[in-house]
Amino acid sequence: MPTKTISVRIDGELVTAREGQSILEAALANGKQIPTLCYLKGLSAVGACRVCMVELAGTDRLLPACTTPIQEGMSIKTASAKLTQYRRMAVELLLVERNHICSACVSNGHCELQSLARSLGITHVRYSYNNPRMTVDMTHPRFVLDQNRCILCTRCVRVCAEVEGAHVWEVASRGIYSRIVSDLKDDWGKASNCTGCGKCVQACPTGALAEKGLSVMEMVKQSDAVSRLATQRASLVNGAR
Amino acid sequence: MAKAKADTKYIICNADEGDPGAYMNRNEIEGDPHSLLEGMIIGAYVMGATEGIIYVRAEYPLAVSRLTKAIEQAREYGLLGANILDRGFNFNIQLVQGAGAFVCGEETALIASLEGQAGRPRPRPPYPAQRGLWDKPTNINNVETWYNVAPIVTRGPAWFAETGSAKSPGTKVFSLVGKIQNTGLVEMPLGTPLKSFIYDIGEGAAPGRRVKAVQTGGPSGGCIPVEMLDTPVDYESLAQIGSIMGSGGMVVMDEDNCMVDVARYFIEFTHSESCGKCVPCRVGLNKALRILNAITKGSGTREQMNLLDELGRMIRECSLCALGQSAPNPVLTTMRHFREEYEDHIVAHRCRAGVCQELALSPCENSCPLRMNIPRFLELYQEGRLEDAFESVILDNPLPASTGRVCQHPCDNRCRRQSFDEVVNMREVHRFLADAIYQSDLFEPMLERIRARKLAPTGRKVAVAGSGPTGLTAAFYLAMLGHDVTVFEERSEAGGMLRFAIPEYRLPKSVLRKELDLIEGVGVKMVFNTRIGFDVPLNELASQFDAVFLSIGTWKESWLYLPGTELKNVHPALPFLESVARQEKVVTGARVAIIGGGNAAIDSARTVMRMGASATILYRRERQDMPAIDEEIQAAEDEGVRFVFLAAPHRILGGADGSVKAIEIVKTRLGEYDKSGRRRPMPTDEVQRFECDSVILAVGETFDQDFCRASGLELKEEGTIIVDRFTYETSRPNFYAGGDVITGASNVSNAMSCGKQAAQKMDERLMGEQRWERIFPDFEYSRTAPGEPSLSRRHAAHDLPAALRVRSQQEVVAGLDPKEALEECRRCLRCDLRATVTAN
Ligand SMILES: Cc1cc2nc3c(=O)[nH]c(=O)nc-3n(C[C@H](O)[C@H](O)[C@H](O)COP(=O)(O)OP(=O)(O)OC[C@H]3O[C@@H](n4cnc5c(N)ncnc54)[C@H](O)[C@@H]3O)c2cc1C
Ligand code: SF4
Ligand code: SF4
Ligand code: SF4
Ligand code: FES
Repeated sequence: MPTKTISVRIDGELVTAREGQSILEAALANGKQIPTLCYLKGLSAVGACRVCMVELAGTDRLLPACTTPIQEGMSIKTASAKLTQYRRMAVELLLVERNHICSACVSNGHCELQSLARSLGITHVRYSYNNPRMTVDMTHPRFVLDQNRCILCTRCVRVCAEVEGAHVWEVASRGIYSRIVSDLKDDWGKASNCTGCGKCVQACPTGALAEKGLSVMEMVKQSDAVSRLATQRASLVNGAR
Repeated sequence: MAKAKADTKYIICNADEGDPGAYMNRNEIEGDPHSLLEGMIIGAYVMGATEGIIYVRAEYPLAVSRLTKAIEQAREYGLLGANILDRGFNFNIQLVQGAGAFVCGEETALIASLEGQAGRPRPRPPYPAQRGLWDKPTNINNVETWYNVAPIVTRGPAWFAETGSAKSPGTKVFSLVGKIQNTGLVEMPLGTPLKSFIYDIGEGAAPGRRVKAVQTGGPSGGCIPVEMLDTPVDYESLAQIGSIMGSGGMVVMDEDNCMVDVARYFIEFTHSESCGKCVPCRVGLNKALRILNAITKGSGTREQMNLLDELGRMIRECSLCALGQSAPNPVLTTMRHFREEYEDHIVAHRCRAGVCQELALSPCENSCPLRMNIPRFLELYQEGRLEDAFESVILDNPLPASTGRVCQHPCDNRCRRQSFDEVVNMREVHRFLADAIYQSDLFEPMLERIRARKLAPTGRKVAVAGSGPTGLTAAFYLAMLGHDVTVFEERSEAGGMLRFAIPEYRLPKSVLRKELDLIEGVGVKMVFNTRIGFDVPLNELASQFDAVFLSIGTWKESWLYLPGTELKNVHPALPFLESVARQEKVVTGARVAIIGGGNAAIDSARTVMRMGASATILYRRERQDMPAIDEEIQAAEDEGVRFVFLAAPHRILGGADGSVKAIEIVKTRLGEYDKSGRRRPMPTDEVQRFECDSVILAVGETFDQDFCRASGLELKEEGTIIVDRFTYETSRPNFYAGGDVITGASNVSNAMSCGKQAAQKMDERLMGEQRWERIFPDFEYSRTAPGEPSLSRRHAAHDLPAALRVRSQQEVVAGLDPKEALEECRRCLRCDLRATVTAN
């Protein structure tokens, strides 16, 4: 079934989009940039990080671009002083929530959180650091999970469930106590369903999931490759429907 | 949804009533489960649903068992199941018990929970009506909505729209709780103003209390200040002022509720119920909670307050679901409407409600305007250390004998001993301690000892205008801090209203004299018969002194329009009392009518009685509304003063000779509640006449604004001098002000607290450092909680029999004797030791 084409405005410019696309997809397809963090092309969108918020022109409502379907006649603003302020705040909050010590991180220089902070012009955070005590799971033969660096974007959860089909990861507890856990809250090394494919590691935007044996700055993620795989699989599934 | 094409459609009843304190759904289900089923069956029929689910809290066992039974019965009658009423309509209802997560009240989280997943919301769209439970079209409604279905179908939508407001038709059930006399569930038409809930149904605050705010909508609702109680309760109006209807919770708060703590409490709740999926709600609420915790502990900053505001907005606008979007409401509304309370906590480390324990030594200390260290002097005297106890008292309160007699003793209000029997009589103890020193040869050595605590001369000169309690207090502390202090007083003697308004029989002038001796003894210079602003211009003061403190009180009579005030023998209260205090010859008649309800009215009446005349007080409201101190009203009644309530003066009638013959009053009835939470007196047609030959007008005092002409001092609309709330600085550099002249007629301890705090701030400004603590010695005294506090009852002061006391100006209340005072000290529970106790 061919999808309908609709016309919308993004930052004042009249563009076309396909019905069923999210605001983010439509924007990207038209060469517009909207910052994202929990979104990974090909995976289902969850709307967790809220850095992709955009303004619905003419109202004071903000919408998450990654999860909101674009509709005929919508006029979207992807940048404003308020959006920048709120995006910055979301990143600041992530930076203080756990212990992000870039200088000691395998992902330093290749981290999506870090580069987003830089592009938003964050030079310091105004909230006090939570400094929580976090665990590092080194039980897996090839990978490591450092909770200190996890931003709970759930990209690992989704890639594992939606692409690999292994369902190793889940979020346990709630609120500020939420944690990524493997299998039945066991050590990752004991997770009998883990196939060791490493997709979660590649999908993870920060240094939370990494390969073992690397030193500072050495972890370069292949999130594009994972994303391509995911997109292929998604179109297969949709096509089969 | 009826149009949606699907093999299965669901309808859901959301009975996951998760707001703390809300129990309307429970009540409805337990009371009448069948009406719920009826509503759902009709809904299912119309929408073509085949499956119904009631998601009910597991914590409601009775609701669960009654619903289960009702479902069985409905099945037996063929109202549920296959081919209902032979219409070919199949519908079943299933009961699911929720585990009690607040967020599961959010529809998408509820659906996730029904699907066996963690209760976390997911983005909408798609809305449940498109893709809900198991991706099928789903209609989800609250208990109350389902209950409304059958009556609306029976009687038609027009009937339903008859009640309620245009935009929000119908009624709603509310759970009305908190600081009001009547609590419970109430059903009211939407659009009913908030004040009907609070005053008509709730019957207002407990006697002697004032409603301060009402919080609507459960833990994520906003706090609405008492000034906005005209707001109609409907969805739009509540949203406009930053609150919500929510499930219909209504929590009423009074002055014992700290609004910062209220916000902190609700954020603590929503924070712990946040599912954690999105950043604003998960981390934002955590940060907000940390900031609020800091503020309630006294370590907050103004910067943090701005961050809190910014955070609140961001969480509201960016969160994924309604939990996060509404969670900041309590913070944002309290910051908007009760900003002063936040500032009190941050700038002055002060929680007036006495809730934030870290900011108070003990409940009594927090309630005393002078913040006297009460447990300390009680303990010192108990240890047999009269002089130390007095030193502790006088350094906290330079007029301990006068306040010991006339203070309205708010220290009693929150004394913890009252949960056991009665409050400790702190006022009488400090009166006793002061009298014990003043009336013995301990006075001179004591004065020596206090003088020895003075800091070295600073060379700074400070002028104080007015020698009332405010000015005296400021002068005392400024002298103790080493400054050269001169008090300028218009009248011939010091003391202000203590000397010239409050009568001898309540506060003997010999007692006041001793207090003045002490204050002069520490080096305060007094210049009498000098009116600042007239005899000495403000500019002259400014050039001769490093700082000036204005405390000239409110001595001008408020203007009252009343025909007949020009008649002979119509007196304003203050000049009348002042003449009596000066022992001048004053003629009143034999029958005196007094108009007013404050201290001046009561004192005038009691003075009139002592002059051998009869006194009748005419007051427009009721006794409990009188601003005068309750004991004084009681004493006046005992002495035979007659009270006529609900009486507004109409006119004074005179004879041909220009003398008063009678007064006419209009009876009033109490109408609507005004912003102070008191009911407004409304005139009726009934006019009454009282024969009298003299009238005293005690309708309030203001200050003489001529004083401020061309002085560079800014005034408020009501005529008081504008100062910074924390530093007491006026708009003119180096000029400070405090007491009645900034607050309007108030009371002695409040006035003195201005003097005390202003002295501290002036010193800081003059010297550029904090030196305040240096005038206080380190008192060594027991810091262990009493094993057994005295079990004796409260010791009250001794009233002279009324019949005897109306004959003279003799002091009517005799203080405690040493044994009683000691026993009273032993009744203290030492709330100040709380910190030590928890630390162990
Ligand atoms: C009849 C009556 C009974 C009361 N009973 C009680 C009670 O029982 N308990 C209680 O707590 N409160 C009571 N109050 C209220 C209390 O007395 C006042 O709140 C308190 O005295 C205010 O203190 P103050 O220093 O600000 O002003 P004041 O006491 O009014 O002192 C101001 C002083 O400034 C002087 N002054 C005025 N203008 C000038 C000028 N231009 N230059 C120089 N000097 C000037 C005045 O002469 C006066 O001495 C009562 C008030 C009245 C009228
Ligand atoms: S481990 Fe990485 S991918 Fe997984 S939730 Fe944390 S930050 Fe996201
Ligand atoms: S707003 Fe709060 S409750 Fe809602 S999804 Fe986000 S974290 Fe969960
Ligand atoms: S000054 Fe008033 S409030 Fe303070 S302790 Fe004395 S009586 Fe109580
Ligand atoms: S990218 Fe849209 S919410 Fe994270």
